[in-house]
Amino acid sequence: MFYIHQSSCISHLPTFDEVDIENLLPSENNLISAIEPKYIGVPLGQLRRMGRALRMGVGTSMKLLQENKVDGILVGTANGGIEDSILFLHQINEYQEGRLTPTNFVQSTYNAIAGMVSMITANKGYNTTHVHRGLAFENVVLDAAMLLKENPDNSYLITGVDEISEHNHRIVSLGGWYKKESVLNSELYKSDTQGTLPGEGSASFIVSNKSENAVAKLNAIKLVSSDDELYVKQQLQDFLSEYLKNGEQIDLMLSGENGDSRLLNYYTSLEGLMSSDTTIARYKHAFGEFQTVPALALWLACKVLQSQRIPEHFVKRKSTDSFRRILICNNYQGKQHGFMLVEKQKS
Amino acid sequence: MSRIVVTGIGIITPVGTSLSENRIALKEGKAGLSSIELFPTKYASLLPFGEIKISNEDLKNQFNVTEKGVTRTTLLALHAVEHALSDSKLTQEQIQSADTALINGTTVGGMSEGDHLYQDTYFNEVGSKFVSSYNLGSVNMFIQKRYGVRGVINTFNTACSSSANAIAYGARLIKHGFAKRAIVGGTDALAKFTINGFNALNILSPNPMKPFDANRSGLNLGEGAAFLILEKEEDAIGKNIYAVVSGWSNTNDAFHPSSLSDDGEGPYLAMKGALEVAKLQPKQIGFINTHGTATENNDEKESVAMKRLFETVPAFASTKSNIGHTLGAAGAIEAAYCILNLQHQEVYANLRFENAIESTGLIPVTQCQQMNLEHVMSNSFGFGGNCSSLIFSKV
Repeated sequence: MFYIHQSSCISHLPTFDEVDIENLLPSENNLISAIEPKYIGVPLGQLRRMGRALRMGVGTSMKLLQENKVDGILVGTANGGIEDSILFLHQINEYQEGRLTPTNFVQSTYNAIAGMVSMITANKGYNTTHVHRGLAFENVVLDAAMLLKENPDNSYLITGVDEISEHNHRIVSLGGWYKKESVLNSELYKSDTQGTLPGEGSASFIVSNKSENAVAKLNAIKLVSSDDELYVKQQLQDFLSEYLKNGEQIDLMLSGENGDSRLLNYYTSLEGLMSSDTTIARYKHAFGEFQTVPALALWLACKVLQSQRIPEHFVKRKSTDSFRRILICNNYQGKQHGFMLVEKQKS
Repeated sequence: MSRIVVTGIGIITPVGTSLSENRIALKEGKAGLSSIELFPTKYASLLPFGEIKISNEDLKNQFNVTEKGVTRTTLLALHAVEHALSDSKLTQEQIQSADTALINGTTVGGMSEGDHLYQDTYFNEVGSKFVSSYNLGSVNMFIQKRYGVRGVINTFNTACSSSANAIAYGARLIKHGFAKRAIVGGTDALAKFTINGFNALNILSPNPMKPFDANRSGLNLGEGAAFLILEKEEDAIGKNIYAVVSGWSNTNDAFHPSSLSDDGEGPYLAMKGALEVAKLQPKQIGFINTHGTATENNDEKESVAMKRLFETVPAFASTKSNIGHTLGAAGAIEAAYCILNLQHQEVYANLRFENAIESTGLIPVTQCQQMNLEHVMSNSFGFGGNCSSLIFSKV
């Protein structure tokens, strides 16, 4: 599909400046919050007015756009600036629909991140925001793949970003998707109750058809919308038989297991499709659960392919320790499933 | 490569619940602008709105919706999807096949239940029935499950160009082999949230809107939904084919979060890009369904962009003068209107136009009239600098 060149990431671990994912940092108050860095390339006056998702999304984007020009900007975000929406609703109620200030309203549009990046960098090319929850980032990838077929010489910036804010946390909690009891992220997979730990972050990538100096190749993607476990398993099986040539196998499966007892079966059944030589690792104890976390899993896959190692705290079952082909599996609330196949660039 | 064609249309707007009702209203120059009757807001009778006078209960009964937490935005989409599917006569098997895509564009989503969101956020110990329905994905989560669609499912938000991009994405998925057919469109319901947002920006007109008029005073908000069924021409043999989706483009004006640049660069690039995809010359466009929001900024800059691209600006009009600005649904509704233009070789009046904008001097279509049309263009621009154009062609 396409090659991944530079990447940048804001997460719960130090991933933005000096990358250090060797050690897990503990969650606090059942939150796997992101460490916000010192942002570069974003005018301070604008930064001050931005909500958290906007800052993180613009932050990882601008880090890459300091030295790269791209032909378009694609963002995946399930909630965008929903916090701004809620603050604006608060204004509506507090002032009984009186004279309100529009800043929250304008920033609440989900496309504010892509719009802001295009404005700062004067980028007039393709500009879009995919918001379909747990498939928002996967649609970004699919869109970028089509754009690169249509315009083979172009390059694009792709981003996946979402935030935990006070209010969206409350809404998702009311929906029953977060742990009610106190659980540390290091113990997440031992938990046998419903719910998970919320996370947040942003990951951006420069992608093109140029293989030279690429970090990785994103070879294939599949999006599945179903709550039928057997159907989902069949879809992964079909995906693997379509894209793995004879004798090829998955060296590392990055599984989206998230400690929610309701979803564990999905992941174990997908693991069952891997050979005994496949190393299985998980990422949600480090990044938390949110709709666009597959973007962070893709960032992790790139790091593993580059360094040829994966820190212990990610590993569920160790097998091979040479990584050429990585499968990323994610599942959002048992209804939306994404599979991405990432390969090391042949050197 | 086979052409991408439209084989089904479903639509619901303040002037009609079917394509034929919409056509009659457009031909008669009828507007669906009124006070708000279906939910309480301070502005209900202070400003005109394009409200669809069918309650949520009636919509639920009509489509036998018994699930909890289904928002008005979703109900309007359901109406349009249901009509589009039966219009194109897709079989159950086709709808549920893994190569059928479902793409929606929306800006309001579950925010039409803003009062419930406010309660859930600040006060409720137990979530309301809408607790899983607030974000934009909720519409297609519902539609996907209801019809068992199994292909690529997506939701776009590029503000007021959302559903134009949903249509383009569906066409591209088919072109690249990621889908064999696509259900594409957009939906938005009126909401206190958007009414107060646009009011805070001072762009809601106290009177019925006057697109492209020198004395325009802003927009009226509306609501509605439209969905189209897209297929390859070779797969649609024997079907009623409405039109060809021949061009699309999506750009950014990169100027300001809520207004267009002086030279209309984003709109200019969007229209130019759509012509390139369609492999057409500007002079081949017979009519433009403009974005035409009747704000001070949009109509002037859109006019500037049209004058830059077209040696002679083609006939144009804003159908927002009939139904108000339906935000995320506008691109899809106006796509359906473009298809009516092509199908019946007629164009509809831009209502309430009196005097041209001095700096640009452009005059829209003011009478419904017959016109020979091969290719028509639809413009949709939005906050965040998003600009999209689509081109539809006669079969």
